[in-house]
Amino acid sequence: MKKLAEVELSGFGKFPKAVCQVSRPLNIDEIRGYLNESSVTPRGLGRSYGDAALNEKGIVTESVLMNRFLSFDESRGIVKCEAGVTYKDLLDTFVLKGWFPPVTPGTKYVTIGGAIASDVHGKNHHIDGSISNFVKSFKILSASGEILKCSRTQNSDLFWATVGGMGLTGFITEAEIQLKKVDSQYINNKTLKLHNIDELFEKFEEFNEDYLYSVAWLDTVASGSKYGRNILYLGNHSSYNKLPEKFKNKSRERFIEKKIAVPFEIPFATLNKLSVTMFNAAIYMKEKNVEDYLHYDKYFYPLDFILNWNHIYSKNGLIQYQLNVPEEEGKEAIDKILKKVVAYGGGSFLAVLKKMGDQNGILSFPFKGYTLSMDFPVRKGVIQMCKQLDAIVLDYDGRTYLTKDSILDETTFKKMYDGLWQKWLEIKIKYDPYYKFSSNLGRRIGLCPS
Amino acid sequence: MPLLVLGANSLIAQAASANFAEAGHEIIFAGRNKEELSKIAGDFNIRYKVNCLTEYFDALDYANHRKFVETVFTISPELNYALIVFGYLGTQEKAQSDFTEAHKIINSNYTGVVSACELIAAEFESRKKGSIAIISSVAGDRGRQSNYMYGSAKAGLSAYSQGLRNRLFKSGVNVLTIKPGFVDTPMTYGMPLPKLLVASPKKVGKDIYKAMIKGKNVIYTPFYWWWIMKIVKSIPETIFKKLKL
Repeated sequence: MKKLAEVELSGFGKFPKAVCQVSRPLNIDEIRGYLNESSVTPRGLGRSYGDAALNEKGIVTESVLMNRFLSFDESRGIVKCEAGVTYKDLLDTFVLKGWFPPVTPGTKYVTIGGAIASDVHGKNHHIDGSISNFVKSFKILSASGEILKCSRTQNSDLFWATVGGMGLTGFITEAEIQLKKVDSQYINNKTLKLHNIDELFEKFEEFNEDYLYSVAWLDTVASGSKYGRNILYLGNHSSYNKLPEKFKNKSRERFIEKKIAVPFEIPFATLNKLSVTMFNAAIYMKEKNVEDYLHYDKYFYPLDFILNWNHIYSKNGLIQYQLNVPEEEGKEAIDKILKKVVAYGGGSFLAVLKKMGDQNGILSFPFKGYTLSMDFPVRKGVIQMCKQLDAIVLDYDGRTYLTKDSILDETTFKKMYDGLWQKWLEIKIKYDPYYKFSSNLGRRIGLCPS
Repeated sequence: MPLLVLGANSLIAQAASANFAEAGHEIIFAGRNKEELSKIAGDFNIRYKVNCLTEYFDALDYANHRKFVETVFTISPELNYALIVFGYLGTQEKAQSDFTEAHKIINSNYTGVVSACELIAAEFESRKKGSIAIISSVAGDRGRQSNYMYGSAKAGLSAYSQGLRNRLFKSGVNVLTIKPGFVDTPMTYGMPLPKLLVASPKKVGKDIYKAMIKGKNVIYTPFYWWWIMKIVKSIPETIFKKLKL
């Protein structure tokens, strides 16, 4: 049974939007059918921000109904599941058994297929790297209609082109993932309130080896003496025995999430300079230098608490801008970018800065250096400002994150990923010579013909 | 106490079953696609650590229903809950010109249920305990030109479950009639439905679980369909027949 819905789709940033033919296949044969007819774009829960999971010129296939756990080796913590299984499923199923997702993005509403295609990273990238380090193998429906098993030893070229390959190499059907052993549901967190970027970079060096998780919130509005103020959050999984008594019972109970929703798109520009300035100041004022214990849900997924938080950006949506610059001269680059953003004055509602470890996949975004992630409401001037940031990023041999991107053009992309995109394309053409897997993003940045 | 699900492939069935599994009930998934059944069972086993069994069941193969029911009561002697979910929406237009389609709609939604449910009912009746839940539909509350084949079969099913409830009351067996509104499933995917009125299978599954555990008689799910159907049913026929519904 084949069924298509015509839907106006977007990524989580709600920009850009496109009317697409969308299917929600129950099995792989259905996708094979679509491959005979047109180009196909795999989509998970649509949490990439831009147009990675949009396809105006073909069919979008959502993986959400192919979401079964296939096996679990409890002693070794290895789970095999279909691509539509989400981080929430992993957490709900395995945390009480003592196993945690080895790398997690900032939301649990991400599918495993999407996580692999974006080669997602988390607060532990400086130590553990991205998710692909924990993907033992996966199966992928390739353009020929064949299902290929990929690992570091089997079809390894396709393996490395698929992690971070933005869904352009095929439809991931299932994956085998190594989970991380944990002893409680809590994170032992250390908060450091810092005055400027110099202090932050010193602390990265001082603490990064001791803490598995490390990320800084950065005020992108404050200027003058407050310029560059930030808060560094460092964390490790807490052992059960170390937990304060009040958390011990909770740590052995099933976690039940409470959520509130932003019921509709807030129709006017609530995020103006004043509110963003106040919000940033409030975050800085609220935090203290403390050491405490936070539940994993609060620690990793603070924004999941508000369902559809993207609605606060009105119907115009938002642009996420995430860049990575090399370690050398990294501080200088970050400083230049921050100055530009402060001068722009639009500020970012939430900005995070983190030190990164080594690169994995061919097109994987993270590499050794520093990453800064910001979001801006879509309004006049913002794209030009981001283009100016692109120029600085390029100047320092950096790049931006395709999963967040909605504005890169082909020339800029190919400069940012020079040497990599050529290598990737060779493998793409080997497995998919007719570009059966294509997307709006792929065509925009010149990885697929338009 | 174990739950038997007839038509386990349905997302509503799986969502309702998830609630039972979380509460520790054993589950027997029955349906036509054996490979799919064992996948569902395996997934439930990992997620909820409950014992899951699978059994082949074809709603239209009436001759084998007795053997099927005997088997499930043999492999799961404590069986206490039966959830009957299978059904077939079909195509109204096709059914108007092609009786095979009309027949399939009627048999899948009505005849097949009667055939299997009577056998389960008899077993529960003799044990003087048990609980049966049957998925009917709001479409059975009033016939409309756009899907009266499906609607009439579901209307029959509503009346059937009503009578069965009446009969089994004295044996202490509960019969629940479930009337879901629009649910976001492969059956409705791609239809131009009002977004606000389309519920998730998860929500409907939870409603079904709660109603079964509480021993309710009839539920609309989500609840507001009770109000919607109250209004739809109150429109005089002289007006209703002129509407494009």
